Amino acid sequence: MKNKKIIVRLAVLFAVLAVISGLCLLVALLYDAIPVPEDDGALISPNGARVIFGIPALQEISESIPILELGNILTVTTISLCAVTLILVVLACVLTRGLKKRPTGVQIVIEKLVTMLYNLVEDTMGKHNAKFAPYIGTLFLSSILGTLLGMTQLLPSATADLSVTLAWALVTTGMVWYNNIKNFGFGAWLKGFTEPIVVMTPMNIVSEIAQPISLAFRHFGNVAGGGVLTALIYAALAGLSQLVFSFLPDMISQIPFLQVGIPAFLSVYFDLFSGFVQALVFSLLTMVYVGGACPPPEEIPDNRREKTEKKGQKAN
Amino acid sequence: MEYQWFLQKFEAFVGVNPWTMLFAWLNLLILYLFLKKLAFVPLKRMIDSRQKEIDDMYSEAEISRTDAENMKTEYEKKLSEAHSESEAILKDAQRRALLREEEIIKEANDEAARTLKRAEEQIELEKKHALNQVKNEVSEMAISIASAVIERDVKAEEHSDLIDDFINNMGDEK
Repeated sequence: MKNKKIIVRLAVLFAVLAVISGLCLLVALLYDAIPVPEDDGALISPNGARVIFGIPALQEISESIPILELGNILTVTTISLCAVTLILVVLACVLTRGLKKRPTGVQIVIEKLVTMLYNLVEDTMGKHNAKFAPYIGTLFLSSILGTLLGMTQLLPSATADLSVTLAWALVTTGMVWYNNIKNFGFGAWLKGFTEPIVVMTPMNIVSEIAQPISLAFRHFGNVAGGGVLTALIYAALAGLSQLVFSFLPDMISQIPFLQVGIPAFLSVYFDLFSGFVQALVFSLLTMVYVGGACPPPEEIPDNRREKTEKKGQKAN
Repeated sequence: MEYQWFLQKFEAFVGVNPWTMLFAWLNLLILYLFLKKLAFVPLKRMIDSRQKEIDDMYSEAEISRTDAENMKTEYEKKLSEAHSESEAILKDAQRRALLREEEIIKEANDEAARTLKRAEEQIELEKKHALNQVKNEVSEMAISIASAVIERDVKAEEHSDLIDDFINNMGDEK
């Protein structure tokens, strides 16, 4: 009952905030107060990740190629990724030190989380696919931490870069294809494209290609869009602030008072909630796709099963 | 010009940087290996082993519980058996004691009766004996009196019938 009340209040608050921000934007637009977003070093901006190290020769070549950016070797996104890795490795080292059979304190929380992860993986992919849980957990943690890193304002969100989400999505697709070929055979996998009827083949191929793209764009779009929206609201609030406090001396009215507070509430949605949901969606879809390629052992065709079992015995 | 600017911005926003992708893969791989080795596998092993221990404990407890229950029923059965047995023994003993009592009483009665009978017989014998003695003495006395009377030797052999008759008559008269 108490939780319900809080949730209702939060929902109302968010609705009011959304209306206020919309009004801010409208007012700012009406009075032409929004400054044109310049490349002013904003961490999340529609200008892509800042380049730290690039090779001019390669940059020139890549200008003729539409989407690829071959020249920018090191961007802030890479730094974010490395930071995520570092943070998670350090956390894993610190938190899993001195595991005890009778858990205390932090270990209880971690074990609960790990149990939840394994339960989720086993529920979605089946008991036989529990071996994928570490990868799913890694993906989820990288995703959520990569998104939350943007809140520090020191580094951008790693997931606000399409290259990152696309890389992760391609890993998912690679796992799906590998497992499909391993479990059903190359021929059966190719034949699967002509089902249910041959005419569907082009559509099946398109959907297969669209899968990683949609996966990547969903995550990237949510995080980057949130970032862009936040930047816009900051700008709008700055304009609104100037407008409201224009009666004050210039020195003081330049300070964007309205930027205090309101963006924090929006950040709860755009960074925390959206980041969590997108990480969950990305992991869940990965589970569903890979789980579809890894049916229970009894559903794998007999000749394939024998092969994989032999391989497994050899490996053992 | 406008179009060119838009394309440039578009590419900057949704452009794909293969180097970043490469770093993303590398980071993901490193993170996967580290987290798997450091966190997921040891934690899962810990959880599973604890779960197994708990399950074992519960099954063991269940086994000992059923064992105890079986023992209990067995003991209860044995106890009730012992009860009925002791009751039976007691009843038997009582019955036997009663029987023995009757026997003893009967024996005692018999003995008493026998003793009484023997005593009576003895008395009878003694009586007869005394009577005979008295008879003999009386006959002797009669003979001596008769000899004194008739002054002649009375032959006991010749006149025993006479004497006996006399004595018998005398006895009868008494």
